Amino acid sequence: MLKKEELARYLGLCMASEADLAEIYEEEETSETIASLNEEVDRVNRTVKSGVGIRLFKGVQTVYGYSNGADDAHLLPIITDLTRALGGTEGKTPSDAALTGTASANGDPARIDFDAVSLAARTELARRAERAAKAYDPRIVKTQATLLNVRQRVQIANTEGRLAEDVRVRTRLSVVAYAAENGNFQSGSCNSGAGRGFEYWEEKTPESLGAEAARAAVVMLSAVDCPSGRMPVVIDNGFGGVIFHEACGHSLEATSVSKNRSVFAGKLGQRIASPCVSAVDDGTIPGAWGSESVDDEGTPQKRRVLIENGILKSYMIDRLGGRRMGMEPTGSSRRQSYEFEPTSRMSNTFICAGTDPFESLFEGIERGLYAKSMGGGSVNPLTGEFNFSVLEGYLIENGKITVPVKGAALIGSGAEILMNIDKVSDNLARGQGMCGSASGSIPTDVGQPAIRVSSITVGGTANG
Amino acid sequence: MNKQAWLDRARERGFDGLEIYVGRSAERKVTWFEGQTDSFVTSDVTGYSLRAIIGGKTANLALETVDDAKIDETLDLLAAQAEIVAAKEPDTLRMPEAADDVKCATEWVVPPADQILSVLAETERALRASDPRVKQVMEIEWQDAVTGREITNTNGVRVADENRTQVLYASVAVEENGKVKDGFRVEVVPDLSRLDPADIARKALDDALDELGGTPIPSGNYPVIFERRAMTAIFGALTDMYSGDLIGKGISPLKDKLGEPIFSDKITVADDPRNTDALRVFAYDDEGCPTRKKILVDRGVFREALHNTKSAARMGTASTGNGFKNGYAGTVSVSPMNCCILPGDRDLAGLMEDMGDGLVVTRFAGLHAGLNHVTTDFSLQCFGYLVKNGKRDRNAALITAAGNFLDLMKKVVAVGSDLEWEYRTIACPSVAFENCAIAGE
Repeated sequence: MLKKEELARYLGLCMASEADLAEIYEEEETSETIASLNEEVDRVNRTVKSGVGIRLFKGVQTVYGYSNGADDAHLLPIITDLTRALGGTEGKTPSDAALTGTASANGDPARIDFDAVSLAARTELARRAERAAKAYDPRIVKTQATLLNVRQRVQIANTEGRLAEDVRVRTRLSVVAYAAENGNFQSGSCNSGAGRGFEYWEEKTPESLGAEAARAAVVMLSAVDCPSGRMPVVIDNGFGGVIFHEACGHSLEATSVSKNRSVFAGKLGQRIASPCVSAVDDGTIPGAWGSESVDDEGTPQKRRVLIENGILKSYMIDRLGGRRMGMEPTGSSRRQSYEFEPTSRMSNTFICAGTDPFESLFEGIERGLYAKSMGGGSVNPLTGEFNFSVLEGYLIENGKITVPVKGAALIGSGAEILMNIDKVSDNLARGQGMCGSASGSIPTDVGQPAIRVSSITVGGTANG
Repeated sequence: MNKQAWLDRARERGFDGLEIYVGRSAERKVTWFEGQTDSFVTSDVTGYSLRAIIGGKTANLALETVDDAKIDETLDLLAAQAEIVAAKEPDTLRMPEAADDVKCATEWVVPPADQILSVLAETERALRASDPRVKQVMEIEWQDAVTGREITNTNGVRVADENRTQVLYASVAVEENGKVKDGFRVEVVPDLSRLDPADIARKALDDALDELGGTPIPSGNYPVIFERRAMTAIFGALTDMYSGDLIGKGISPLKDKLGEPIFSDKITVADDPRNTDALRVFAYDDEGCPTRKKILVDRGVFREALHNTKSAARMGTASTGNGFKNGYAGTVSVSPMNCCILPGDRDLAGLMEDMGDGLVVTRFAGLHAGLNHVTTDFSLQCFGYLVKNGKRDRNAALITAAGNFLDLMKKVVAVGSDLEWEYRTIACPSVAFENCAIAGE
């Protein structure tokens, strides 16, 4: 990592231009993927990345350059390129920036670094999940497990004097089980992860993931065509929160709000959701998949109340977005790596627990869909139109959960769907996902208790 | 990096082989917004990927900093990895093989900065003036990217090449009766001085207007045409089914289907990394295996799977030269390269005329989540327009298309003539189907 005086010198060189602020982001990341198929290790890949991203601000203009060399030979040409692009280098002489901040390490460090565990023990974790999947049912014919371990160290300095440091350790296990019966071949999946070290797997057993993946695959063997059209839908807790992430979360990021490209732009203080909906983006939850001590601009992470009883309370704002909007950054600036200029992103985003008992969500539904397990989705923040996929669904008939149905997309517009949530259960849980957007792919938690949406379009194949 | 020292040391230590893949990417990107430069990005990154074969087993390590003083330490990591990997057939690295070189005909003229800024400004002006319904010119962006690779191994493979792309991206939001839509255009630009900003502005505007005012349509089974961009998207998202790796592992829907009809006899699928109509061409894959043209599906019959060296060995065949990596740090997988459905002879208007009444789907959303790669079941948000008496009628939005891709591809009515590669490595013409389940109102 660059020393304080080196950071100060590079920042000083950056300011010999029309820049009003310069920032250096440095990163070292070691990641390892172990992929196992039928309890045999199919592939291991270890990657060690390191690089530096330099960003200069001039009002609401930014210039950004990056390299994977942290020395004069790599960084000086970038600084020259950037200061020229910004203009006004003539007559400016560099002077070292004063870094008054003190880099502080993560307050929530991993207890067991993955490299402190033997490679054999790491691979055994994946195999344990597969064995449990196989043992679940004789119809499970194939299994796959992928274990990802990441250790990312970042250092951020800027000409306001900021010097921040963070160490982010993450682990995630994904299991896929394949079930076969009479020529019918189906898959089920389950994954879990945390912003923690290997100790996470002491409390979350790989066996529980394997069994869950197998259960989902077996259920799908008997799934019938999904109905289509508008109907009430009960979306279960945990990863079901992807509905809020897509339908609302992205549209509350400064990236779209600051350029007036969001359906929720200019709506602070207004009702944008049903009164039973409160929602939070919280990057401080200890050990959560989307948590970090500081964001990628070095601003301490925080808990952001986005919606309170249906009223829009806050956006998620990065520094550039804040300049455009005339608002303070909320510690929401994130990026995949030094190869991306950061922008406003979610961390751990969820709908807060309500008071409705789970069973009551089904009451009064003559014909609807129970979405027990969700896949990913996407949204166009400009229009608010979103989609997300149901991996495991069931028909609701006369208030009862009946037969499993094949996967289907749920679509709608964010502004409308938030108003259509009419019941919120008390069983809040979170699930782990990767969120892709302008600044790359980042780990985020989505979450919610089970909710009921009174009417949403279900994209099935069975008509009527 | 002293490559020879690494290769020699691997040999001395008894490795079966070592491959060094060096990937370089350099990029310059300028974004224009509301009359001024919004952002500028410059980068130059080199990464190294080591692939070792030890006792017939593969180990992978990607590094951004290589230290010649730490060869043994690094090789130790690879050796430890290989110990835990299973391999039924011994893995191998490629031997040197001669192949005809292939180059894109494109001559790239790198423009000076002031020319870029002037074209960006002009494109923004043209978009603003293009239609009263323009609400916001969202982004105009110039991107120049150079990617290079060098593949060296202990068997004597030496492959190096470089690809450049220059693109202009324009996006716009339009509004009518309180409804907003966005559209974009990506134009590959070999020579900026020959680009007509008004032309790209018109295309971006048309893309936005294409979806403006769309509303749901009644749920039902509709005769459909997947317009070329939509067809490319869904076909492209499912090209992993041709992967010899997934077929060998028994998790592709095409396992045990070689030689069998899988699609309508109107469908022929080709994969050709040497196709100079496409944006990028490759004489070798990322293992150093020469590439060639393959007919994967011939008039509906599945004829050939895609392979890299490992997947080919597992199935007792030869690599097809489709061992590509996702970036230098990725491992070699099996990927299509310049893969397409061969075009027919009716243009889109002709397909619509033949269909009479039905739906044209212009775009799918949520492809990363709404497809089941094992069964090819899909349920996807889509956009498009109704067709009445062979002519375009009102726009449709907030609808889904659902079905099973393999079943759908057996119900092909006609394949369009409108294949265009643009900036893609997978492309399809428009395809008309007998029917597809659409959910809306």
